[in-house]
Amino acid sequence: MSVFMDLNLSFTAERSRLRSLIETAAHLGFSTVAINYVHEPTTKKKQEVPTPTPINELIDQLPIVQGRSRPIRVLNRLTVVMSESSYFRPADPAYRSFDLLAISPATEKLFHAACMSYDIDIICVPVTEKLPFTLKRAPVNGAVDRGVVFEVSYSAAIRDSTMRRYTIANANSLMESCKGKGVILSSAAEKALELRGPYDLTNLGLLFGLSDKDAKEAVSSTCRSVLLHAESRRTANGIIYTTKSCSDSSCQQEAPDSELCDAPAAKRLRPPPRVTDS
Amino acid sequence: MRRVDRKDESTVYQRVVLKNASPYHYMKVCLVLEDESTRLSAVEFKCFIISGLKSLFGEVGAALTFDLLKYDEDTLTALLRVCSRGLVKLWSSLTLLGSYQNQACAFRVLQVSPYLLALTGNSRELQLY
Repeated sequence: MSVFMDLNLSFTAERSRLRSLIETAAHLGFSTVAINYVHEPTTKKKQEVPTPTPINELIDQLPIVQGRSRPIRVLNRLTVVMSESSYFRPADPAYRSFDLLAISPATEKLFHAACMSYDIDIICVPVTEKLPFTLKRAPVNGAVDRGVVFEVSYSAAIRDSTMRRYTIANANSLMESCKGKGVILSSAAEKALELRGPYDLTNLGLLFGLSDKDAKEAVSSTCRSVLLHAESRRTANGIIYTTKSCSDSSCQQEAPDSELCDAPAAKRLRPPPRVTDS
Repeated sequence: MRRVDRKDESTVYQRVVLKNASPYHYMKVCLVLEDESTRLSAVEFKCFIISGLKSLFGEVGAALTFDLLKYDEDTLTALLRVCSRGLVKLWSSLTLLGSYQNQACAFRVLQVSPYLLALTGNSRELQLY
């Protein structure tokens, strides 16, 4: 049984709209969704990285996914729209409250840097405009080897016909460079009516140049590998991670296959942790 | 296309593989509109789908023949039949269709099958009492 995920639901301040988005996603069969907070820093004024609202404030009861018995899993994701390399600061503690990190590069140099060295999970391929740079095979393969995936979002194609052409053109040029590996399809939906079911997306992947197998993987197993990559990115060498031990942390617990240390040990003086072999 | 395989000498059996045996694919779709009280007639529904095909695939796409076998005006649910070769085109144009007369809409594809009999049962709506 494959688990379908939609890792890009736009955050809106309206609670009712977000609630209906999550309910529609659960009804369509997505087991996991991620609410996307877009951060667009400019040189003019200093902007704070948005903090994610906790899930239990957004929606009281998570709806059950259609076809399964578990409720839908909601994660938080940050997308940094970068036009200069100083905008992405990986040491910023605000980044730590997000489960997934994504970058939307605007220039070729940034794209190359994001593929090869930045500590992120997802690279967003622009779909609302003509590609400002060509996607060369070398950085794309480097990113795929590292575990970073490329994301194509489709809701712009639903809203406007010019965007439709750009989406299909950019997606096809991405597929030429990456041969169908390491791609995820997601909506950047703002309304519940812009979401489409997982099998509809599998069919849409054929239009974007993916094969049958790659199109289905783009909605299911590649998304799962992104989540695992994000989890291991937040650990130290993939072995230890710290979590705040608070009483209502049970809703955000992920099954750790590593040792668990309690914070506020970060403030406490303690001997350097022994790294055990996993 | 028939392929006959002989696996074992002692037990002789015949395996028949039929590829693309059914010339048509059947789809059960439901149109969800922003304003839930809007009603479309069968003709308007088919016209709407043809306009979607035309906007995505042009005149060649709009020439794709599909049939509206059953239409329920109250729930806006329809049973479509399309040639197997045209399934991807029709399905993707239904997916990317976003607005009907300036209101947002979405086509929810409920079932797709090469055999009409398979559309009678749906494990998603199965209710066990």
